Amino acid sequence: MSDPTPENPRGIFDRSTKGAALEPVPVQIERGRIRFFAQVLGEADPIHSDLDAARAAGHPDLVAPPSFFVVAEAAATEERRQRGKPGAMDLVKCDFRYLLHGDERYFYHAPIYAGEEVQHSTRVLDFYDKKGGAMEFVTFESTLSHPERGVLVRSQRTLLHRLPELKS
Amino acid sequence: MSNASLKSAAVGDTLPELKFGPISRTTLALYAGASGDHNPAHIDIDFAKKAGLPDVFAHGMLSFGVLTRVVTAWAGIGQLRECGARFVSITQVHDLITCKGTVTERLEADGEPRARIAVVATAQDGRETLVGDAVVALV
Repeated sequence: MSDPTPENPRGIFDRSTKGAALEPVPVQIERGRIRFFAQVLGEADPIHSDLDAARAAGHPDLVAPPSFFVVAEAAATEERRQRGKPGAMDLVKCDFRYLLHGDERYFYHAPIYAGEEVQHSTRVLDFYDKKGGAMEFVTFESTLSHPERGVLVRSQRTLLHRLPELKS
Repeated sequence: MSNASLKSAAVGDTLPELKFGPISRTTLALYAGASGDHNPAHIDIDFAKKAGLPDVFAHGMLSFGVLTRVVTAWAGIGQLRECGARFVSITQVHDLITCKGTVTERLEADGEPRARIAVVATAQDGRETLVGDAVVALV
């Protein structure tokens, strides 16, 4: 049962990127970004917005909400772009016209704090198809790591294309 | 929730639910800016229509963020070990979303007692949009 991923004639993803790892890049965790993100999500806990409250709760600075990973990842993509390197979605050739998010999972090892510089890494795990090739999927694994505290959060993500019919 | 009542969490316990919405286009613009996810399918109706979609649609991660709030409001962010969800249907503009959690399992991992919580986001018409689970430490 080790069939290689068959090519999907309707597929858009660049399947030659299977197994590719992006160069780790640094990301600054900014107070203002944590506050804004927490506010849009309606986070009620002041550890995400009020420095005194965060410190009173034993934290060195504002604490990133659990889904802040996406913010750090977008910053990492921008950092890669400035270095002339592709982000994960550029690498596998995501087409926003057909793109959907399949699933997302986080494994939490330690908090992310404002003021830190963390490293973002991503790997392309696999490609597969469903519904007779009408949908194609890509899976990624990513981490945010701190130089002393190690891996803070690991993520697994599936993106998919709802593919258009082939023009005959 | 106090740590004492967290320790006595039992299968079947329900977490206080959270509602958000109806989701406006402003919310989607703010989430795009706050998250850094600038996919035009969420913020630009011209792009959406050109792609054959009836309208822009909400970022799945917006609802994911509120689902995690259900769990952390109950257990505390320091107790959160894992959280994941599948995006099972599209969240539309104007949807009113209800996020719920239910304890489904008590387990032991990495030397600590933990609970698995089934989480689900549901639109006003009963349509499930996100289905997932979280694991929290009961300490």
